[in-house]
Amino acid sequence: MSNRTPKEFLKQFGENRIAIVCLAITVGFIICAIFAPLIAPSNPYDLERLQLTDSLLPVGSKQIAPSQELRLDVNVIEGVGDADGFVTTPCGDGCLEFGPTDVNVDIGSMEIRDLPDGVTVDGAKKHPIRNWWTVIAPENGTVSIVSDTPLPRSFAFKAITETTGLETGFTFYLGSDGFGRDMLSAIIYGIRISILVGIAAAGTAMVIGTLLGLIAAWFGGAVDSIIMRSVDFMLGFPSLLVGLVVLAVLGSGIDKIIFAVIAVQWAYYARTTRSVALVELNKEYVEAARCQRFSSTRIMLRHVLPNCLPPLIVLLTLNVASAISLEASLSFLGMGLPLTEPSLGMLIANGYEFIFSSKYWVSLYPGLVLLIMIIAMNLLGDRLRDMNNPRLNN
Amino acid sequence: MGRDMSENVLQIDNLNTWFHTRQGDVKSVRDVSFDIKAGEVLGIVGESGSGKSVTGMSIMGQIDEPGEIVSGSIKFKGKELTELTFEDMRHLRGKEIAMIFQNPLMTLNPVLRIRDQMFEAIAEHESVPKAEMEERCIKALEAVGIPSPAERLSRYPHEFSGGMRQRIVIATALLHGPDLIIADEPTTALDVTIQAQIIYKVRQLIDELGRAMIWISHDLATLSELADRVMVMYAGTTMEIGTTAEIIGSPRHPYTRKLLESLPSRNTPGERLQQIRGNMPSLVDIGPGCPFASRCDRVTGQCSDAIAKTEVSESHAIWCCNPHPAEDLK
Amino acid sequence: MNQETPIFEAHDLTKTFVVKPDFLAAAAAKLMGKTAASQVVRAVDNISLTLKDGETLGIVGESGCGKSTLARMIAGISDATSGDMKFKGKNYENVLGNTAEALKIQMIFQDPMSSLNPRHKVLDIVGEGPVTHGIIKRSEMREYVTGILKTVGLGEEHLSRFPHQFSGGQRQRIGIARALAVKPELLICDEAVAALDVSVQAQIANLFMDIRAATGLSMLFISHDLSVIRHICDKVVVMYLGRVVEVADTKTLFEAPAHPYTRMLLEGMPKISLERRQFLPIQGEIPSPLDPPAGCHFHPRCQFATDRCQAETPQLKTDDRGGANNCLRYSEIVGVELDDA
Repeated sequence: MSNRTPKEFLKQFGENRIAIVCLAITVGFIICAIFAPLIAPSNPYDLERLQLTDSLLPVGSKQIAPSQELRLDVNVIEGVGDADGFVTTPCGDGCLEFGPTDVNVDIGSMEIRDLPDGVTVDGAKKHPIRNWWTVIAPENGTVSIVSDTPLPRSFAFKAITETTGLETGFTFYLGSDGFGRDMLSAIIYGIRISILVGIAAAGTAMVIGTLLGLIAAWFGGAVDSIIMRSVDFMLGFPSLLVGLVVLAVLGSGIDKIIFAVIAVQWAYYARTTRSVALVELNKEYVEAARCQRFSSTRIMLRHVLPNCLPPLIVLLTLNVASAISLEASLSFLGMGLPLTEPSLGMLIANGYEFIFSSKYWVSLYPGLVLLIMIIAMNLLGDRLRDMNNPRLNN
Repeated sequence: MGRDMSENVLQIDNLNTWFHTRQGDVKSVRDVSFDIKAGEVLGIVGESGSGKSVTGMSIMGQIDEPGEIVSGSIKFKGKELTELTFEDMRHLRGKEIAMIFQNPLMTLNPVLRIRDQMFEAIAEHESVPKAEMEERCIKALEAVGIPSPAERLSRYPHEFSGGMRQRIVIATALLHGPDLIIADEPTTALDVTIQAQIIYKVRQLIDELGRAMIWISHDLATLSELADRVMVMYAGTTMEIGTTAEIIGSPRHPYTRKLLESLPSRNTPGERLQQIRGNMPSLVDIGPGCPFASRCDRVTGQCSDAIAKTEVSESHAIWCCNPHPAEDLK
Repeated sequence: MNQETPIFEAHDLTKTFVVKPDFLAAAAAKLMGKTAASQVVRAVDNISLTLKDGETLGIVGESGCGKSTLARMIAGISDATSGDMKFKGKNYENVLGNTAEALKIQMIFQDPMSSLNPRHKVLDIVGEGPVTHGIIKRSEMREYVTGILKTVGLGEEHLSRFPHQFSGGQRQRIGIARALAVKPELLICDEAVAALDVSVQAQIANLFMDIRAATGLSMLFISHDLSVIRHICDKVVVMYLGRVVEVADTKTLFEAPAHPYTRMLLEGMPKISLERRQFLPIQGEIPSPLDPPAGCHFHPRCQFATDRCQAETPQLKTDDRGGANNCLRYSEIVGVELDDA
């Protein structure tokens, strides 16, 4: 990267088709992240919208509007009774039909209570203790109130009906999770969190780590030792462990996760920057800059830093992928983000219990998306690293 | 041809070595022909991009992807090298043809002792008992002027100075008594006084052993003191070849003349040096015709066509369509 | 500054590098009851020099002689361990403390590839200095840089290019332009033509001479190539292992060298000849600066050496040719031929 103009660089980059695909995928994810509210079919954070009846619906199912319950007091007078939208129809001596006036209304279940003694409902299930009769999905929404003896001319009863939900136009393209959230929307918002954490955390880590590396290289001596021993210390811990400790101390929240990732990643940048800067500081153009009597700050930032960038950018790309992976792991373990604002890791965790009960989509799709995102960024970073390697270039 | 071909150790005819790159074919060596006899030192002089190093590497069979010897013949003691298999070439290398490079730091392995490196060089081609190997190495180091060689064998390369390292490299190259030694700028990185010592030693060895040597350099002055014949290369092709006296004393090619004239020693101190105007052309997909035409004061209409070889005398040949007339350089 | 004040003076300039043994080596030595020694290198050993205004002084020497270290001290980018330097009569501490004064001393480096920042365009490489230090305004930068590029033989089309797009000779020109842009009065050229092809060397050497004629600046020209030195310089200083062994006018040095080392250098220098030359089998390696020979550093390789040469430290003394040299036996050996055996 150091010996090419931007045009030459892009041209050489474009020679590898896989890299272009990965770049397109990554850019796609970034656009997804930025425009999430516009792209997602619904807002998964909106708790009002969630219905438990929507939970664990398979891929492609339509959303069902919640069912409505009607409680009616029906008075039958002289064999005729009616209530809101419902009417009785005699069907013989000991038989009275009760159903909606509009036959098209879909009745999910009808429960008849407080019937006089001896009066039952045809084909209904009786409540074990009380005198309540329930018919599920009655034909035409009509139940038949029957009796062995002729029905009394006037009596009263209570009817509780539940209309089945109607399909709304909303489709769960990727199914829904255990809380009734649309998976597609949740994934899109999850991508947003992943990209945000990845770029913000890796980017901030890069700024902090690079500055510390430059300071270590310039001053040398005790300053160098202190910084580098801190780097060695940080790199000695597995990153997941550091993340867990930081979150345990600081609590949960997206900013705490970003902080945890920074705490892990700054060390890589510091070490890389320091080694490259040490090599660059011995080059003649730095001597020339000192001969031109520039200040140390100017030399480090304007002359040395640009030459340190190629390996740092490779590191950045790979670290964004690594940050996303770390955040997913932390969320999977239940730390970091609240349940109501899930990231991809948490979605995977939530769906974990359902994997073996054939409700695979709850974990599978977030997992696939995470996989593709990390692979794309890693391949992108690999391509940049290969381009940076002078031995692989002619 | 003017010279007697019978004892030619090496004969090169119309060698073409190109590098196939993304930007096009870099034609590093184009139609280069020369030969060399036993006991002779041929100096190849040229600036960067002249193709002198690539010529040496082609002879050694060390042109790797994306380069290839596109055409031409390299006959070593009658054997056609371009037709040899990799294995056959490998057996020749080190035993019958040896190469010495510019930077001894890169030629010597820093983690192996001198003894191990020299033994390896012997063992690769012959199986010889250790005691005899040790004796041969000591003799070789003595011959190049390294004091207390027996003790030095146990040392590592970094314990030697640059001049000593280069002597070790030369000693290693001579272990098998190769018939042809190719030296690519072997003393360029060394100090003047050390350079003089090494050249003296090498010349002595060549005279004693009767080997043939190709000495590649950009320094015409060094070659003039050391070589029997000189070949001048520019931008991948030969300009002129002849004995040292002919090249230095009566050069006919405009480039050779300009090169000599631009040396500080040929100019009055304090005055502007004669310089060659313009720049070397790019070797990428370069056409036929003389590459020096764009910078030549004697350019004519025919210079863009392929240049034929003209023999000025039995030993002196030029590739030019409008050479300087025969007269001595002042 | 009047005519008499030299533009540059150095008195007893010394630079030592101390290589301290590292922590483990020191600990190991302590365990064995010894102290690990620090290695001291006297890269520059009590050097005194004078450069007159408008003069070109050549410094010649082989590896380990300290000429690069000396160059960097004179350029103000490396500190001296002891001794003092004056620029136009003022002490270097004062000069380097004042940016405007310090800018008047500039340096051209050896390697055209690494002396230019590969990430900067030519416009920035040459223009950053003058703009940052207020010599010109940012709005004038483009025009100013184009003008300087023209004086070194480059053009406006080169402004937006990067170093890797140029040849070695062109890069060296950019380096020269960078130095000229801040209007120097003393130019230090550290092997400025060594890494270039012969024909390009001639071009760049001519460029130096043209600039010198146009601006009258003083030059310190460091090289190992005696033929270039002979062509460009008025006076020559010969260095060996950190010490000055000889100073003379160019003509005098080449016609009547005084010090045995100078004579050996001139003998060993490749010269164009019509036939093979009979070389002298001069013995001896250049000693390591870490462990220089006692007394006169050159005595192990010198055919005139006696016990005295090992015991006494030589001093630079003026001689009868109008120059100076530090050979202890000068008066005895002057006129004696160098051995062939």
